[in-house]
Amino acid sequence: MDPKRKEKIITLLIILPALVSIFFFYYCFTGWNFFISLTDWKGFVPSYNLVGFKNYVTLFHDSVFWTSLKNNLLLILIFVPGVILVGLILAVLLDQKVRGESVFRTIYLLPFALSFVVTAALWTWMYSPKVGTINVLLGKLGLGFLKSGWITDPNIIMYCIIIALIWQFVGYSGIIFLAGIRSIPESQIAAAKVDGASSFTLYRRIVFPQLKASFVTAFIIFMCFAIKAFDFIWVLNRGGPGYSSHILGVAMYKETFAFDKFAYGAAYSTIILLLSLVIVVPFLYRVYRR
Amino acid sequence: MRVKIPRPSRIILYILLALFTILILLPLWTCVVTALKTSKEVILTTPVTPPLYPTLAPLIESLDYLKRPLMNSLVLVGSGVMVSCFFGSILGYVFSKRKFRGSIILFILVILCLYTPPQVQLIPMVRVTSNLGLHGNLGSLVLLYMLFGIPMCAFIFKTLYDEIPDSFINAAKVDGAGTWTIYRRIILPLSVIPFVVAALLQVVIIWNDFIWGLVLTSGKANLPVTVAMANLKGSFVAEWNLQMAGALWIALPTLIIFIFLGKYIIRGYSGM
Repeated sequence: MDPKRKEKIITLLIILPALVSIFFFYYCFTGWNFFISLTDWKGFVPSYNLVGFKNYVTLFHDSVFWTSLKNNLLLILIFVPGVILVGLILAVLLDQKVRGESVFRTIYLLPFALSFVVTAALWTWMYSPKVGTINVLLGKLGLGFLKSGWITDPNIIMYCIIIALIWQFVGYSGIIFLAGIRSIPESQIAAAKVDGASSFTLYRRIVFPQLKASFVTAFIIFMCFAIKAFDFIWVLNRGGPGYSSHILGVAMYKETFAFDKFAYGAAYSTIILLLSLVIVVPFLYRVYRR
Repeated sequence: MRVKIPRPSRIILYILLALFTILILLPLWTCVVTALKTSKEVILTTPVTPPLYPTLAPLIESLDYLKRPLMNSLVLVGSGVMVSCFFGSILGYVFSKRKFRGSIILFILVILCLYTPPQVQLIPMVRVTSNLGLHGNLGSLVLLYMLFGIPMCAFIFKTLYDEIPDSFINAAKVDGAGTWTIYRRIILPLSVIPFVVAALLQVVIIWNDFIWGLVLTSGKANLPVTVAMANLKGSFVAEWNLQMAGALWIALPTLIIFIFLGKYIIRGYSGM
């Protein structure tokens, strides 16, 4: 056989086991999940009937679905811009030839090292109404009127969650932007300085416009997180009080594994997938066009 | 690129940095001090004051509760990291250095896996593992984590292999070395850093993962440490010192990795 051809076959053969298994896990499962969402399958009983899009119709008439979607939207509209903005501020601060920069960077990144289970435990303690850190500190500082039920109050729990999540991700966001700032050529900055640009103009005119790639990266990462989030909210309060902190991931888990409505849960998953694809596909298309 | 701002504002700069530091460290600080207090002291002192009479009892008691799950998570990390790094390295090598027609499409399909929400795989995976007789026990998670990390590893290895100049392998190609020989003789010896980066990232991801353990395992002997911790949080609601001590045990390994090996972790996350 032609040796070039032989090499090609060998190349294909060595990647085949890995490719087949991950494509099976990711793509076949995704298709299978969609198929399940078209049935009335109820968990561990193997029999089911095809019911078409009935689960989706039920979904769109389900108030829990709309509450969950609304809360995901809150994450998208507040958490995502919040974490990007605070991260950008951190990056600009760290870019000022700070003494001990690497120490600050490491500290800011620490929450990102933690499992959501750990951070949910930490913030349950922070927000605990009677003995928790925040209320106790507010009392000591003479700000007792700001005390609140925090995560026991259905009206503000989502905002409490968003603050905790910004805390957890802000170091990561900062690192993304700091890397972006550092990749701008020194000569451009020098030139602008010679022209007498103030540091404010410098950032507005030279630095921020060149951070487009960092913005896109951060946006994609945090959007995807905001759509598929589950762990933190589940461990914090199981989506409660009531349905007040339900998001799609929480509702999907409950329908599927608490109420054994597997097909209905699969419909939830499909919605989560579609939302993610709306964000990711245009991004990948732009990055890998050519 | 560095822009220096004028002098008086530097004081404000450090004040702001210090403020952020306090905000970031506050939850961690209250966790550590509370983990060292007796239940009585937790009630009598504020959550931020250091313990007057430090005790290791909560740490020991929570370790006892989490002993088996900690071992389980170690098993998962060990098996998952090795397998996904190995396959990821091969994929990264082919996508970076042995491109063929259509390889870019395959690569994009691998990248897309990184962004699929886990929710779409939960139900089919439950079905598959129960058919294999693995549902509920640790084997299901071992299997899962072997597959689960491959796309991310492939991405990391491809990015880092792209930095190796093609001239390195062209000489070997002229000498008639095949795909596999080039991988073993040239690429693998240059792969120490890619392996460190990919492995550390996988360690952190598998160690911290929660939803898969929650869905696929049951019974205390089979739980990974995060699921056991969520149970501990549920069953010792008012015993904050115990909860914080448990959280500390789980946080410790990843905190150590981020503090001492953070630069490798950042390399893995940058550009994603």
